[in-house]
Amino acid sequence: MRFAACAAALVLAGAAAAADPKAGEAKAAVCAACHGEGGNSTNPAVPSIAAQPAQFLSTALYMFRAGSRQDPQMSPMAKPLSNTEMNDLAAYFAAQKPAPPAHKTSAENAKQGPELARKFHCTQCHGPQLLGQQQMPRLAGQQYDYLRAQLRGFRDGKRGDLDGKMSESAQGLSDTDINVLADYMAGLGG
Amino acid sequence: MRAALAAAVLGAFTVAQAQDKPAASPPPSWQQGKPTGMSESTLHPFAIEMTGKAAKDLPVDKLKVPAGFKVEVWAEGMPGARTMAQGDKGTVFVGTRQLTEVYAVTDKGGKREAKVLLKGLDAPNGLVFSKGTLFVAERGRITRYDGIENNLDNPPQPQVIVDNLDPNKQPGHFWKFLALGPDGKLYFNIGAPGNIVMPTYMEASVMRVDMKGMLETVAQGVRNSVGMDFNPKTKELWFTNHGRDWLGDNSPNDTLHRVSHKGMNFGYPYCHQGDTPDPEFGKHRSCKEFDKPVLKLGAHVAPIGMRFYSGKMFPAEYQNNIFIALRGSWNRTEKQGYNVMRVVLDDSGKVKKYEPFLTGFLLDAKADPPMWGRPNDVMVMKDGSMLVSDDQNGIIYRITYAK
Repeated sequence: MRFAACAAALVLAGAAAAADPKAGEAKAAVCAACHGEGGNSTNPAVPSIAAQPAQFLSTALYMFRAGSRQDPQMSPMAKPLSNTEMNDLAAYFAAQKPAPPAHKTSAENAKQGPELARKFHCTQCHGPQLLGQQQMPRLAGQQYDYLRAQLRGFRDGKRGDLDGKMSESAQGLSDTDINVLADYMAGLGG
Repeated sequence: MRAALAAAVLGAFTVAQAQDKPAASPPPSWQQGKPTGMSESTLHPFAIEMTGKAAKDLPVDKLKVPAGFKVEVWAEGMPGARTMAQGDKGTVFVGTRQLTEVYAVTDKGGKREAKVLLKGLDAPNGLVFSKGTLFVAERGRITRYDGIENNLDNPPQPQVIVDNLDPNKQPGHFWKFLALGPDGKLYFNIGAPGNIVMPTYMEASVMRVDMKGMLETVAQGVRNSVGMDFNPKTKELWFTNHGRDWLGDNSPNDTLHRVSHKGMNFGYPYCHQGDTPDPEFGKHRSCKEFDKPVLKLGAHVAPIGMRFYSGKMFPAEYQNNIFIALRGSWNRTEKQGYNVMRVVLDDSGKVKKYEPFLTGFLLDAKADPPMWGRPNDVMVMKDGSMLVSDDQNGIIYRITYAK
């Protein structure tokens, strides 16, 4: 069935609607139940989606719908969304203010973190302040447990990856490296 | 020993780190070949909008074509739209690389309707339409869908022409362009499996396959070609090629090539742009032993689709010109490219002129991102107009000419 033709003939919108943060807001209430008010998570296992780059958010939703990224909670949420709805939600959450991080980075990881982030090329794509850009998410102030789980997932080939670049970049990370990076990133404001 | 000593000095935490540290792993493939002097570089590849973008949200009015030409949005809502092929009845088939879809776009009384025709394919980037059949090049195989234009709502199961074209599954350049030769064979690329690496015997090549699945190597030393066409006058194969990354802002050029005979070798990984030895692989080889490109296209500009113009709409001086879509650059401090270029040849096939034809995607060469769209493929329609796909946004533009 891998090559099954799409017999149902999903007709795409002739003219795609412009991304509309207002329309996104109307659909965002259900997201806030887990991701927090305005997309600022208070659950260490659930990512903050406030102030994430819109392209990262729409890409994440696309991957959950396509099945290239899987999660028991998120996969069914993304399943019924159209591209336009994904773009609307992305536009809304990208425009939200990030809350200051509740996480406190240890003194030694505050020192080691930046070195590791350079060594493993994090800053090259996610930006010098790790604020994210385009398809690359904001890592600064992200939830600690979530960061750890993603980095382990990329390293171990268990986390869906848009183009393989994160999986490649995470090769060579030790469990300790991951703890240091997550502790450092989770405490970053900005 | 040094690591152990340092660990002892720095304390318990570092000791734990040293103990569970795995062996050093190679750099990610897109970083591979980057000199140590560039370790602080913030250059990074760009990604497409997987959910597409609406033309309304984009500065499409910035697009410019020469006087007498007009450019307009022709169809949208096809995320990742890349290679295009037109069917006998006018359907425009559109392939993707990062997605799994092939789209079919039909003209419904002046409005275009785009739909997902095939789904679940593995990087279906290469498309050819001929005599009722759609040929699709995926990551590892080439298939045919007979009679597809009569069955757009219920496409047939594909027949496999050749399989197992990507046994190594490397992260490098695995997507394929497809072109039909005057000999009735399908021509395609097998890209290098990384930025600058020693390819295996089938990689970094242009190959062809007949309808029975018999393979031949046409050209070697080709890092990655994702644009090919046959000169309508001489029937020779021409193709574009992507040069390596991380050799600096102005080196090497991406290139345009002419295949005058089977068995040519264009130098990868030893020699770039016909005259620049690779700092590592080129140490013990000479560029003299390799065939040369016919044109340097600019450094890191990422030429994708290229087609000869043999339509009837554009002015006479456009006959047999080559149009090339530049999808880059990213591996350059100040960005360039993101145009559709025009190449004018003389009667002997020598390049007379290389100039921009469609511009306006590049907004700010120093910004990140520098562009709002990326031209990917060019295709001449039966009426002589030209379609340009933009995979960044999932939009197709149409260029027409009127006196």
